[in-house]
Amino acid sequence: MGKQEDFVLRALEERDVRFVRLWFTDVLGSLKSVAVAPAELEGAFEEGIGFDGSAIEGFARVHEADMLAKPDPGTFQILPWRGETPATARMFCDILMPDGSPSYADPRHVLKRSLSKAADAGFTFYTHPEIEFFLFKGKPLKGQQPVPVDDSGYFDHTAQGGGQDFRREVITMLEAMGISVEFSHHEGGPGQQEIDLRYADALSTADNIMTFRTIVREVALSQGIWASFMPKPFTEHPGSGMHTHLSLFEGDENAFYEAGAEYQLSRTGRAFIAGILHHTPEITAVTNQWVNSYKRLIHGGEAPSYITWGHNNRSALVRVPMYKPHKGQSARAEHRSIDSACNPYLAFALLLSAGMKGIEGEYELPGETEDDVEALNATERRALAITPLPRSLGEAIRVMESSELVAEVLGEHVFDFFLRNKRAEWYDYRNQVTQFELDRMLPLL
Amino acid sequence: MTDEVSIGGRTPRARLTRLGFTDADAATTALGALGDVSATFVEALARAADPDLAAASLASLAARFSRGELLARLDGDAGLLERLVAVCGASQALGAFLARHPEAADGLATARFDPRPMGATDVRKALVGASDKDSLRVAYSTQLLLVAARDLTDHATLRESAAELADLAGETLHAALGLAERRHPDAASSCRLAVIAMGKCGGRELNYVSDVDVIFCHEPADSSDESDALRGATRLASELMHICSDHTAEGTIWEVDAALRPEGRSGPLVRTLSSHVTYYQRWAKTWEFQALLKARPVAGDEELGRAYVDALSPMVWEASTRTNFVDDVRAMRRRVVEQIPVGQVDRELKLGPGGLRDVEFAVQLLQLVHGRGDERLRGGSTLGALDSLIEHGYVGRADGGQMGDAYAFLRTLEHRIQLYHLRRTHLVPDDPTDLRRLGRSMGYRVNPEDDLDKDLRAQRREVGRLHQKLFYRPLLQAVAALPRDGLRLTPEAAKQRLVALGYADPTGALAHISALASGVSRRADMLRSLLPAMLSWFAEGPDPDAGLLAFRKISEGLGSTHWYLRKLRDEAAGAEQLARVVASSRYVTDLLLRAPESVAILGDDDELSPRSRAALVAEAQAAASRHDHPMAAVRAVRRIRRRELSRVGIADVLDRLDIVDVGHALTDIAVATLSGALTAATAAVEDELGTALPTRMTIVLMGRLGGHEVGYGSDADVMFVHDPLPGAEDKEATDAAAAVAQHLRRSLAAPGDDPALTVDADLRPEGRQGPLVRSLASYTAYYARWSAVWEAQALLRADPAVGDESLCRDFATLIDPLRWPPAGVAAADVTEIRRIKARVDAERLPRGANPATHLKLGRGGLADVEWTVQLLQMRHARVVPGLRTTETLAALSAARDADLLATEDAVALEAAWRLVSRIRNAIMLMRARPAESLVEHTRDRNGVAHLMGYGADQSERMVDDYLRATRQARGVVERIFWG
Repeated sequence: MGKQEDFVLRALEERDVRFVRLWFTDVLGSLKSVAVAPAELEGAFEEGIGFDGSAIEGFARVHEADMLAKPDPGTFQILPWRGETPATARMFCDILMPDGSPSYADPRHVLKRSLSKAADAGFTFYTHPEIEFFLFKGKPLKGQQPVPVDDSGYFDHTAQGGGQDFRREVITMLEAMGISVEFSHHEGGPGQQEIDLRYADALSTADNIMTFRTIVREVALSQGIWASFMPKPFTEHPGSGMHTHLSLFEGDENAFYEAGAEYQLSRTGRAFIAGILHHTPEITAVTNQWVNSYKRLIHGGEAPSYITWGHNNRSALVRVPMYKPHKGQSARAEHRSIDSACNPYLAFALLLSAGMKGIEGEYELPGETEDDVEALNATERRALAITPLPRSLGEAIRVMESSELVAEVLGEHVFDFFLRNKRAEWYDYRNQVTQFELDRMLPLL
Repeated sequence: MTDEVSIGGRTPRARLTRLGFTDADAATTALGALGDVSATFVEALARAADPDLAAASLASLAARFSRGELLARLDGDAGLLERLVAVCGASQALGAFLARHPEAADGLATARFDPRPMGATDVRKALVGASDKDSLRVAYSTQLLLVAARDLTDHATLRESAAELADLAGETLHAALGLAERRHPDAASSCRLAVIAMGKCGGRELNYVSDVDVIFCHEPADSSDESDALRGATRLASELMHICSDHTAEGTIWEVDAALRPEGRSGPLVRTLSSHVTYYQRWAKTWEFQALLKARPVAGDEELGRAYVDALSPMVWEASTRTNFVDDVRAMRRRVVEQIPVGQVDRELKLGPGGLRDVEFAVQLLQLVHGRGDERLRGGSTLGALDSLIEHGYVGRADGGQMGDAYAFLRTLEHRIQLYHLRRTHLVPDDPTDLRRLGRSMGYRVNPEDDLDKDLRAQRREVGRLHQKLFYRPLLQAVAALPRDGLRLTPEAAKQRLVALGYADPTGALAHISALASGVSRRADMLRSLLPAMLSWFAEGPDPDAGLLAFRKISEGLGSTHWYLRKLRDEAAGAEQLARVVASSRYVTDLLLRAPESVAILGDDDELSPRSRAALVAEAQAAASRHDHPMAAVRAVRRIRRRELSRVGIADVLDRLDIVDVGHALTDIAVATLSGALTAATAAVEDELGTALPTRMTIVLMGRLGGHEVGYGSDADVMFVHDPLPGAEDKEATDAAAAVAQHLRRSLAAPGDDPALTVDADLRPEGRQGPLVRSLASYTAYYARWSAVWEAQALLRADPAVGDESLCRDFATLIDPLRWPPAGVAAADVTEIRRIKARVDAERLPRGANPATHLKLGRGGLADVEWTVQLLQMRHARVVPGLRTTETLAALSAARDADLLATEDAVALEAAWRLVSRIRNAIMLMRARPAESLVEHTRDRNGVAHLMGYGADQSERMVDDYLRATRQARGVVERIFWG
């Protein structure tokens, strides 16, 4: 055991921790938790805690389901909503096979593999997510329309709505768990909130997003409301995206920054963005993994429908924001299609690897799109060689199926499981007769 | 002589060159700068490790004196001349220091120089005058110069030099602490601070240039409170580190590294004694205790330093009883030998297997394991600890002595390398000039480069056998009760050691070792010399205990066979191969246990290549005809088969055969076996009939056998064909042929010492409903009337290869137009083949089998690839002659060459086919039982991954590779087969 494990074991005593929750994430991005007593933790650090992998979505192959969850001591935090003394703590886990080799089914390992490949090329990957979600009055019941907690809009200061208190409490808890918040405000839709996490290395950010979702749900429950990260709960209001700012560092230097270049964007930055644009159709099934995700990508506005990039163009898939002068370190690209209900480990692994492909293959960045893509007509778009994002989960699956990039990054096991699972979701969805059809067709046909 | 050397103060260039100067012009200039040099002087100078460098450095030094002054002093003091030349010829950095500080040379004058190694007290006196960073650096270098002079003029041994360097470092820390206290008097009065040296400095075995590892321990001074003391001690400690490591006009001394402290770099720089104790009691890890082995107070408060060591060192000896000790040790060892950059392997002295750190680690491990019960082993330095391990019987006298000499040699070389620039490096330079200088400095005068290289290799070989010598050989003594070479290891100590080395069942292992090595027989004697190496090879495999057990069984099986032990003893390669084979393959182990004589194959490159088919068939035929009794004849044939299977299996485990080679070799063995058995069966039937067989017979290889792609333990798919001799009765001939076929199948399937061969004729016309044997005429009639497309497909793999040669040719003539139809294949037939494949895919996969990893029927598995290739053959063989082959890969490359298939598609199909075939064979080799699917149990998977060449902890990567290759192949199958 190393120093960090020691730190954790000591903290358990000093902070009177009675339970430790070991967290990990299944292939679809749901958080899983095993509680252990502090006494078991030393063993968990050494060998991991055994569990039946076949019970977890996408983990085990057929016969041998035994797997080990091995806590990452660097992620040790006290859970603020569980009270101070006695306290409950959590750690994220890596999933291992019984022989101690990392499981290829573990999304965290998928991301770690991509990060270490980038590290071999000298890069560290930083991300900064802007997470949107809705707050509803009470848990939505089946068959009923959800009721948002307020009717406010973008940046509104809401006197009565619980949103402000809610955000304050969430932010307090996040900070208590060592997750810095950059920014928070009311978003465009009724009851819709946005909280931006401070940029961090991609593995920490992915862990932080998992923690964030849990905290948001816990705080909502404690206030008698319901929080949802569903990408598009309302037909008429914008959906919940997770615009994510991406940057690469070489040592202490921001690799996207080059003084004097257009938008101060370095060759590396241009190639990275080119890689993302080129591979976006293949990875969209992961960045936007639900049937419902594609309802958000139609809307226009803050959600892109076409594969373009631009400087301050809010209809672009990748936006290169304006930097403040002399702030080379903040050079970055904002990816705007990814949504709040993705599996952040897999999504970040793919965004990074797509960008790295661009760097390795020295992809040329296509021309910038300055127009609002939504306002162009189909012929204009054709003339500008602007192609659409996959328009449905079915289409995204079909493109992903033949992607060697995605198979390599996810590993064959996750790749195969993910496709099978998503094909089934798409099939179930196609099977449904919707309210839309009934309303529109029953009177006529 | 004299007049020839010096002419007007100059020495002719040729003479200089002969004396060993490489740049005679530069040397002439340098000598000129020194003044009117004598012949004796030039000869003394030429004795330098690098005469050119020595001349240049002395010239620079002379420039700091008035003209001729230095030369005069040197002429008057031969000892000074010798020492200056030695230092300046070996160290460019010390030469440069002398040129900056010529007064430092005074210490080398005979009147002042003490050839005996200095003690710490003397060094302390020498450093006491240093008043700031610069003067401390000058004083340090001045002392270093003396150490180097004693070292290079052979007045100090390696041990003495290393101890002197450690003392110099310790006293430098002491002086630096004094400076820090002077600079921060308040801090100094707030606390007592002890500096504990760790690592090589603590062990009194320091290099010329190395980070100096320390730990700081403090206590509040009587009058001050704890937080003041903590602040004060931290300030002093960090000031001390800066004083030593800062770069000033006089350069730097060395880095002081405090990372071995509790909690490493994230922990506080200083701790009180009780805080140290608490940490080590509760949190410290095995490696931290190992590090504590070397702890030695060197500076600051002496009483506190002693208290630190007294409190902590007892804990070191409990480390080996900690629960994770064994795992920790294995992990630590992996880190010690972990890969060093390719290209530096030969030049790296410190890292890698058999490097200096490996020796140090091995000695420390033995100290931790045995020092608990034996206090006499608790010394600090590597060589000192090795001495006590030898003295008290834990390591053999001769082995330990050789290991010590090798270590000293390598350390000396490391010292000489570092001296040159005073840089921290462990790489043997590859520049010839550097090698020449190093060789000469180590006393090689005639062929310095080559002789150094030769000895370096020899000593590294010695260190390479480190583990056998230090770890394993003493174990034998513990059980064999043969007090030799001063060894006195108890069985209990031996078990502790075995556990630390990775054997899970030390009692069992010791019993095996005992059984093998006890006694006074010649065999036991030889095994005793063999076992240490074998034990260390087993320990590197996935299951050391199993390897040892198998080795015991084989050795017992071979009894006192002389060649066996001699072979293993005399052919190191053979012994290592045997260790690798038995530790990784049940299949081969089982064959060897049944026929240990196959061990003879090991270690012999010629024997490890498969025999040709012709040679095997001839041998099988000879064996079959030699024996009158048919069963005896078949037994002889089967013995040949067993021996050849061992050969191929061993070569395969040792990664000497490509998968295609393995398929061919195993097919050849099957052909020879069938051929010998056919002869024997024919003789048996003729015996019964009382006459010669009334018909000619041929065996047609089918399926994977026909494709020359069989694996270990595959059935032999065949069809029997006969052709009645002219005048023979049809019925009689068929009955006789059927009797031969029956006899052949029975005799090969009969249980016995040799693995049975199942002869499967189910692919014949009408399958199991049809007659076992048909005549050529009957085949002709059958194919003319009934042939279905699946039969034509099966015939793609038909190879009439055994028995009557002209009948073989006749049968080939019969089937060629069926399998390679001159008119191509009808669309309806293509549809039919696809339909059959669809049904096979849906129905044949066993219930519960994973469709992704089923070797034969899985997605992108063998059947997918083979059916795709076969469809291409049926459609295009009429125009592409290359497709007229029974072999999958040959047909595949012919299809690619004929552009029937894109190159990347062919690559994907071939990659999947090769990988799946290799895994199928590896599974059989590993556990001696076939599997339908990629094995999933961890232990099996690790074993297969090991055979497939994946490293430890890489079995998931193997699975990922498998899934990827087969998925990509399936993509091609989708387009080409189903297209």
